[in-house]
Amino acid sequence: MKINQRELQGTVVLDLQGKLTGGPEAEQIRATFKELVNDGKKHIIVNLRKVDWINSTGLGILISGYTSVRKAGGDLVLCNVGDRIDSILYVTKLNLLFHAFESESDAAEYLKKGTRE
Amino acid sequence: MSGPHNALELIIPSDFKYLGAVDAAFQDLAREFSCAQRWIDDFSTALVEACTNAIEHGNKYSKDKRVRIVVELTDNRIIGRIQDEGAGFDFKKFLSGPPPDPLSERGRGIMIMKAFTDEVRFSIDAGRGLCVELTKACGKTGSGSPGDGE
Repeated sequence: MKINQRELQGTVVLDLQGKLTGGPEAEQIRATFKELVNDGKKHIIVNLRKVDWINSTGLGILISGYTSVRKAGGDLVLCNVGDRIDSILYVTKLNLLFHAFESESDAAEYLKKGTRE
Repeated sequence: MSGPHNALELIIPSDFKYLGAVDAAFQDLAREFSCAQRWIDDFSTALVEACTNAIEHGNKYSKDKRVRIVVELTDNRIIGRIQDEGAGFDFKKFLSGPPPDPLSERGRGIMIMKAFTDEVRFSIDAGRGLCVELTKACGKTGSGSPGDGE
């Protein structure tokens, strides 16, 4: 799993690449979420364009990040979710938790407005 | 030239980094049978999830334990058997229990297996660990997926 971090319209975009399956490599993502929150960066877009698939452990890592940023008063959303991952979010009902956008610019616009209740 | 193989057997260490090999091997096998890609992805998602459970909850990441995966394809259905070398767990409460809290980081493995297959069965062989059996009717023409139901 590779992670690239960049900024877009005042938000942080995390580009993930590979398979989000937990284990030591994916723990880097958990640490990245923690670091971002500690640095006061609490509007995060997770770009899944290059993530092939995810398992339940990988879902747990995303939930961990979501919980951290929400506690800090921010938000975490997804963008570029492929069909395979979209199906998993649907059957686990996590599509109700994670806002998913077709593009990162739409996601950034949403986070700028801070519209989630 | 021989015809398509209809089965595969893999034995992997208790490490998530081998889940990609399971997915790739199954995808190659199913494509030989001209299965619909969506159907292949669905079953592979369940298969990988069963392996995840076997590594994490069954073998508890032990370097001394392996996970054995057997997949058989027929004209009518596919069966996957995933055997760990752990002590087993109380799977019955997960089979019929309520869904996890939305913010819970765990507890979705069996939910995923059930959603992407027709049947999930568990059995414990004394001294051999837990075996998960996944069954799904073959879908060669783009049969429906759980994610299509909205």
